[in-house]
Amino acid sequence: MSIAIGGFIGQGDPLTLIDYLKTMDVGDLTVYENDAGYRDRGTVELVNQGKVKKIVASHVGTTPDIAKAMNEGRLEVEATPQGTLAEMLRCGGAGLGGFLTPTGIGTIAEEGKQIVELNGRPFILVPAARCDIALVRAHRGDTWGNLIFRGTSRNFNVPAAMCADYVIAEVENLYTMGELDPEAIHTSGIFVDAVVRANVSYCTVRDEPLEAAARSK
Amino acid sequence: MGNAKQTIARRAAQELRDGQIINLGIGLPTMIANYVPAGIDVVIQTENGGIGVGPAPAPGCEDRDRANAGNQPITLVAGGSYFDSATSFAMIRGGHVDSTFLGTLQVDEEGNIANWIVPGGLLAGMGGAMDLVTGAKIVHIVTEHCARDGSSKLMQRCTFPLTGANEADVIITERAVLRRFAHRGWVLEEVAAGYSLADIAACTELAYTVADDVKLDAFGADEAAAEKAARSVLGL
Repeated sequence: MSIAIGGFIGQGDPLTLIDYLKTMDVGDLTVYENDAGYRDRGTVELVNQGKVKKIVASHVGTTPDIAKAMNEGRLEVEATPQGTLAEMLRCGGAGLGGFLTPTGIGTIAEEGKQIVELNGRPFILVPAARCDIALVRAHRGDTWGNLIFRGTSRNFNVPAAMCADYVIAEVENLYTMGELDPEAIHTSGIFVDAVVRANVSYCTVRDEPLEAAARSK
Repeated sequence: MGNAKQTIARRAAQELRDGQIINLGIGLPTMIANYVPAGIDVVIQTENGGIGVGPAPAPGCEDRDRANAGNQPITLVAGGSYFDSATSFAMIRGGHVDSTFLGTLQVDEEGNIANWIVPGGLLAGMGGAMDLVTGAKIVHIVTEHCARDGSSKLMQRCTFPLTGANEADVIITERAVLRRFAHRGWVLEEVAAGYSLADIAACTELAYTVADDVKLDAFGADEAAAEKAARSVLGL
């Protein structure tokens, strides 16, 4: 099974959903993610549990356990340029078969890939990535799955939310339909299949202080 | 040489031109932001999804949703904005970033850059470096002249896997500045204080010509003086 996961070394990582995945009896996962998390948190935890067989990522240097898992032969890492990975996911969601990128020409990134010359310039033909599941995290979301991100936590959450057959978003602040400004939506609910509340302790900014929310109940 | 990184960052900042959009790699390149010359206004893009990166936030004002690609807390200046990774790399690959500054393990005669993996070493990954060297209009390599074992990083031919082929435009080290031209190849334009033309020749493997107007003692005097003072204090 293939899973796209949003976030960037802890910025906007869907930790609530990753925590839940830790409790599930799954294995043989192929993960498409920029990285494996930050230090000991994130996808690296699923790797340590033996649930992941392969990660397609641009950089796994922020999670020391990944190197250990690779050395012990427990994990395969396919290093992919960051822009190429983002576009693989975007294209996977956009119904495109792949795309042509100049990134990586003359490097090992072109190994095993078709080179296409267009207007006299060589490009690498990169197939799109379509995943079974995507896990993302947003600052605000409504019950239809419209998402608003915050700051640099938008990152891979946007292309990841597009590329999978079943997309689950954890949101720091959950709204009913119609409460979010249509002009401000970053990811349309058309891409999102399920929305859950993020674990409060992983939230950066709550729209309403927790004490106030508790009092109003 | 403790001050080498400062010397490099300070000299690299002199390459900045008013109005440029730039991207700074993690580590030494990030230090360049501390030395932007007065009167020069540059816009810093960070590939994880921000443009208009400003000073670090005051202690206590850090925000987990506002960080650079090295996970350091950032602020944005007026006019800055955030975006997703696909958009960020559309900017980078699409030629909308004027200049990038990156460290390296090796750089060679043909402008090849190898900065992401040592064969047999641990794999971290190339991150956004391959896209940056491909898409940025000017690629500045900012690096110490020699590796820890004393061998030159400015090689005839890179031996490590490449980050980009034929992409390096400028090399700035604590000892020299070299610029690459289409027909002339690498040209030595500046030599830092404390080094001679012969010194540079001795620690540089890639072929280069010396500019007719090469500047000696061009930069690094402050750091060289500080180093000398520090050594005399320590009685070295």
